[in-house]
Amino acid sequence: MPETINEPVSVTLWSNHKTRKVLPYGLYWHGRQYHITTIGLHHTVWEGRRLFHIFSVSDGSTFFKLVMDSETLGWTLVEVETIH
Amino acid sequence: MDFNPIAPTTMHVDINSCFATIEQQANPLLRGVPMAVAAYVKDYGCILAASYEAKKLGVKTGMRVREGKMLAPHLVVLPPDPPKYRIVNRQLLGVLQSYTAHISVESIDEMVMNLANTPALEKLSMVNIAREIKNRIRLEIGEWITVSCGIAPNRYLAKIASGLIKPDGLVTITKDNILDTFAGMQLTDFCGIKEGNSRRLRAAGIMTPLAFYRASAIELKRAFHSVMGYHWWLRLHGYEDGGMYKEFEKDTEEDQKSFGQSYVLGTPRATNDSRLWQILTQLVMKMGRRLRADGFAAYGVGISTGFADHTHWHTQEKKLSPLFTDADFYTAMRTMLTHAPEKPVKLLAVYCYALHRDTSQQASLFPEENRKRDLTRAMDAIQNRFGDFVIHSGRMVNMEQKVLDRISFGGVQGLPDIPFQETVEHESVS
Repeated sequence: MPETINEPVSVTLWSNHKTRKVLPYGLYWHGRQYHITTIGLHHTVWEGRRLFHIFSVSDGSTFFKLVMDSETLGWTLVEVETIH
Repeated sequence: MDFNPIAPTTMHVDINSCFATIEQQANPLLRGVPMAVAAYVKDYGCILAASYEAKKLGVKTGMRVREGKMLAPHLVVLPPDPPKYRIVNRQLLGVLQSYTAHISVESIDEMVMNLANTPALEKLSMVNIAREIKNRIRLEIGEWITVSCGIAPNRYLAKIASGLIKPDGLVTITKDNILDTFAGMQLTDFCGIKEGNSRRLRAAGIMTPLAFYRASAIELKRAFHSVMGYHWWLRLHGYEDGGMYKEFEKDTEEDQKSFGQSYVLGTPRATNDSRLWQILTQLVMKMGRRLRADGFAAYGVGISTGFADHTHWHTQEKKLSPLFTDADFYTAMRTMLTHAPEKPVKLLAVYCYALHRDTSQQASLFPEENRKRDLTRAMDAIQNRFGDFVIHSGRMVNMEQKVLDRISFGGVQGLPDIPFQETVEHESVS
């Protein structure tokens, strides 16, 4: 089961104007940098008129659930799970 | 008349182990691992979907989590995450809509397409369209998501075909292979043939799918004691039984007949327990908002309960004037609930029917009624702006059990329309 984190984090984005895709590429958390290699799923959730982009991603050995608040453009690391 | 001789143009598309597969798509670490999505992750939770790795170990939909873990000790169990499943449903619909406008969304994981007279079928065969769809799903939605496609002259046989090979199946049923297909099946493998209909068929001497297929329409009408027998004959012989064209048409808002919400309680509560009333309040608020958002009020209200002893109770009534506010719905349902048997409630469901197009912009003669309506609209507007339940009844303060977002079986109402999208290339970030 993933561990709930709910901490603000820094994220670098990959943006491609041709495919119109914006994907998280690097994650900085607790002084470490994680290089994201797989985007499992990108989905969105509305809370009222506020849109949140949810990225389920992995660096190959750790799963991260990242949420971007489209109003503040801030990122939150919601969940983490590591291969045992 | 024999089996429908036309070339098949109906395709049933079914996402394999939908919830589990989507969770594995989202989290690559779960791929290849026995896992399941359950209504609740605790031992008593009901498994809603099991991954194919878990299915190989005997884990099935409908089992309790405890039973699943006995079969697969390392079973990973996750709670449902409906927004993920809805987005995949919408993405799948987007892919299928590029082939035909005639699509019926049967449920969160099943869609039926009619490709007759479409440009797609001019360019590609049905089988090649199915292959292309499977490929596009991998590229555009997710590489772990697979679908089983069934192709047949009618919807019913297309559904049967989609269930014959899983996961990632592609089966066509035509007049040439219908006998071979049915030879490998049991009567109860047919959707719609369970205990009752199976008993009727056996009583008429029809013991196997092949005998079912070979029976005449008159024999089947006799077996089912109704015109249903003729409908079964049509289905099995590749003809539509009349429901097809209606269902391929898009639902209009005028087709909406009722709004309802239900909730299964982790801990059963007595009908006079204030914690049950808190659940009732939430259900009423969710139902009321959906009703008002679609521009309706309702004359009819109903409530049903399932008890811990597996018995059920249900009542409904029609009011003289339409109900609009949550407070009115709550009062009506709370009163109805007092007539329920005094037993612990396991399932609580509320609904409203006899819908009436809301004309409440017209002021009521009673100022109090106008104030209630204005207050309800203001509360809806606040929730639309800031999210569900940011403003709520005082009854919901300190709630222990929250009514979670769930996917209903067999229905996908309320999903957003898909904006037209250009096809984009899949891109790797590595």
